[in-house]
Amino acid sequence: MVAEDIVQDTFLSALKGLAAFKGEASEKNWLFAILRNKIADHYRGLRTEILPLENEGPEGPDGRFGEDGMWRKNRRPKPWAEPDNPMEHKEMQRMIDWCKEHLKALPKMVFILKYLEEKDSEEICKVLGIKPTNYWVLIHRARLQIRECLEKHWLKK
Amino acid sequence: MRTRLMLNCHEATFLMAKKEEGKLRLIDRLKLTFHTSMCRFCRLFQRQARQISAESRQILSDQMLSPAFKDRMEQLINDNYQG
Repeated sequence: MVAEDIVQDTFLSALKGLAAFKGEASEKNWLFAILRNKIADHYRGLRTEILPLENEGPEGPDGRFGEDGMWRKNRRPKPWAEPDNPMEHKEMQRMIDWCKEHLKALPKMVFILKYLEEKDSEEICKVLGIKPTNYWVLIHRARLQIRECLEKHWLKK
Repeated sequence: MRTRLMLNCHEATFLMAKKEEGKLRLIDRLKLTFHTSMCRFCRLFQRQARQISAESRQILSDQMLSPAFKDRMEQLINDNYQG
C-alpha cells in the first residue's frame, strides 16, 4: 500500500510541476527523480525505527547465532540444489523475488536498491536517509533472511 | 571490528556484505578469510549469498500496477489536471 501511495504522490507532484519540466531529461528519469525524493521523504520518517540496530548483540537478528556468535545448530546453512539451466535460474529468481516480499519495509527497500537496482551503498544511504552503519546492518539482515527463505523453499541438494 | 583475530559467524557473515562491495579493510579481509577457511557453514553462506546477489541482478522489475490502481490514478489525474 505504501508503494502505491508513493507512486500516486509522484504522479501528482509531476503533474503540478509539469510546467517546470524542460525536457532536458527523459520523462522516465524525471519521474524517477521525483519518486526517489518521495521514497526518501517517506523513509526518513521511519528513521527512529532502525536506531536500535546499532546495538545488535552476538545472537544477531532472530537468534540465528548463539551467545558466542556462532550459528545455532538448527539454523546452520544447508546446501541447496544449484540451478544449471535457464529455466531453473528463472525459477530461482522468481523465488528470490517472492522471498523479498517477506522482508520488513526497510531491509526490503535496501535489498531492492542494492541487488535489483544495483545502486551502491552511498546512494542507498542518501536515498533512504540512513547512516552507513545502519545500511550494513540492514543489508546483512536482508541477506540472512533471503538465504533462509530460499533454503526453506528451494530444492534441497 | 574488534582487535580479536577470531571472528564469530555473526561477524563473519556481516563482513561478507562489505567485502562484496570492496569496503573491507585488509585486516578484516584477512580475518574473514581465516574464519571461512575453518568454518564450512560460513563458506556455504558466502557461496549462497553470492548466488543470491548474482540471480537478483537478473530479476526484472516486473512489478506491475494493478488495473484498479491505474483507474484510480487516471481519475485523480483527470480531477487534478485539465490540460
